[in-house]
Amino acid sequence: MAAPNLSRDPLEPLPLLEGTHTDKTINDSLLAHVWRGAGKGWWALFGCALSALGLLVIAICWTLYKGIGVWGNNIPVGWAFGIINFVWWIGIGHAGTLISAILLLFQQKWRTSINRFSEAMTLFAVICALLFPLLHTGRPWFAAYWLMPYPSVQRIWPQFKSPLTWDVFAVSTYFTVSLLFWFLGLVPDLAALRDSSKSKTKRMIYGIFALGWRGSGRHWAEYKWAYLLLAGLATPLVLSVHTIVSFDFAVSVIPGWHTTIFPPYFVAGAVFSGFAMVVTWMLPARQFLGLKHVITMKHLENMAKVMLVTGMMVTYGYAMEHFIAWYSGSPYEFSEFFRVRQHGPMAPIYWLMIFCNCVVPQIFWSKRARTNVLVLWFASILINVGMWCERFTIILTSLHRDFLPSSWKNYSPTWVDFSLFIGTIGLFSTLFLLFLKFVPAVAVTEIKELRHELAHDPTAEPVGETH
Amino acid sequence: MSAGHDDSGFVARRFVLAEFATPEGLVNGTRKVREAGYKDLDSHSPMPLHGMEEALGLGRPKIPLIVLCGAIAGMCIAYSMIYFCNVIDFPINVANRPMHAPAANIPITFELAILLAAGSSFFGFFTLAKLPTPYHPVFESEDFARAAVDAYFLSIELPPEADPEKAFAAAQAAGALSAELVTESER
Repeated sequence: MAAPNLSRDPLEPLPLLEGTHTDKTINDSLLAHVWRGAGKGWWALFGCALSALGLLVIAICWTLYKGIGVWGNNIPVGWAFGIINFVWWIGIGHAGTLISAILLLFQQKWRTSINRFSEAMTLFAVICALLFPLLHTGRPWFAAYWLMPYPSVQRIWPQFKSPLTWDVFAVSTYFTVSLLFWFLGLVPDLAALRDSSKSKTKRMIYGIFALGWRGSGRHWAEYKWAYLLLAGLATPLVLSVHTIVSFDFAVSVIPGWHTTIFPPYFVAGAVFSGFAMVVTWMLPARQFLGLKHVITMKHLENMAKVMLVTGMMVTYGYAMEHFIAWYSGSPYEFSEFFRVRQHGPMAPIYWLMIFCNCVVPQIFWSKRARTNVLVLWFASILINVGMWCERFTIILTSLHRDFLPSSWKNYSPTWVDFSLFIGTIGLFSTLFLLFLKFVPAVAVTEIKELRHELAHDPTAEPVGETH
Repeated sequence: MSAGHDDSGFVARRFVLAEFATPEGLVNGTRKVREAGYKDLDSHSPMPLHGMEEALGLGRPKIPLIVLCGAIAGMCIAYSMIYFCNVIDFPINVANRPMHAPAANIPITFELAILLAAGSSFFGFFTLAKLPTPYHPVFESEDFARAAVDAYFLSIELPPEADPEKAFAAAQAAGALSAELVTESER
């Protein structure tokens, strides 16, 4: 909004809100992109996203028509793109919950500008993730029978001692809780949309979703608790989800999977890739939706720092895996990490993973890199690539070279595998672009609250007249 | 047609809607109006206000207890479900491993506790708040559309015989910028 303050002391902290604001200007500037017609850029992106979504539909139809034999995975590589993409997407979702829930509990004020946005990404990422195990069952319309404990004539129950069954509960709980949390936060903003709308139809539509919210003090009193408790519940939940996902691997005896470091290392990797995905989308959105006054350089810098920290946690995870492979004295583990991964047929993917996840984030030691939008954007894309390579390396290299050379077999994905992967990126983008078009991308109510808090905090930077 | 109204038993609820300039003004004003003897008060603001629970004279929030009950219910349901399936209904003896393996039951028990706790937080809130409520008399006011944007209102529900002028005076005395009477419409 306002011109940057050029006289600012470089050692002063960067502001969370730029310019001078009132409730009204915040309201109008954050809702403006919803009322504005879709621009050419939006339509162009939406067109690309829809084409990729079309590819997804074709790939799903082909998979259902022919069976999962059209995927490249086959014994011994029984899990491949399906589970790689599942883990990758679930991981991406974790940043949203981290930002909206964990940073809320830690009272990090900077989360306010980006939480709505990243919660939406969580929802869409989990939808994409859920597609893969469902399709991998081959006949998804039977999946509920196999996955859910319901009394059937066969009298047999799901295997409750299997991490795969735990996964069903964890991921479906995660999706439901994320949806409830997101919608609860959205209700006051939908009321703001209802009340700011110029046309009667829009008022009706937003009014229906706002559920008759009238900002009542009696409601806020319970609402604050409901929201805080949902955040408190989502925090252990998000840690449990990727922990359970990592159990899918860690409880097996396959070399490269059978390790106790998996749960924390998967969670760190999830946050790492999730932040990268948030940055990838946030930088263009902030530019084109006119949100630079609420998503400031300070936010970008903090996100870069989180990526640096989680990147180093992931690097530590890699180092420990390799160390234990050597220290354990198990020839299979040793061979897996030091021969197959580094020199085997999939070695390029391994080295790409090391470059993207361990080397690239080191650039964020530099403040110039952290505050350079282009550097951030390219680095975030490389990190996304690196995290996909990580899942590829973990899953495929371990499966294609296990204990007996007689059961070694190479893997190559088919066009259906690639189409499903690209297609879910299309699904994610389509949903996300629709979200940006119809729902405020920033939590308007929370920004108003933040403005009042900052206005009353004598140590904070000035944010305009006190209301 | 007032006789018709009486027959249907409809008594229009009346509210005095007073606007305040600032959030602090609304909190203080609410306290003053409540001290002046009005009990059915509610504030309307675009964001939660610090100190409003106390100004409205609200008790402890009920949500935490509801959520705790949800979590305990989720835990019990999950654990007893697994126990029933694995031990009572269809025990499968695999190499004499125990039918009841508590450690393996932890993840699902945890997830279901979270699910039901989160559900009770969400649905508990909407039940307590009696939302969705598409119509409320305060929506009759043209100005009220700003309550979700940048305005701070206090609504005072008037008892059937009360004189709105007195409520206006109480609101003015509490520092309101303006006040108007809104009446529920019969629909």
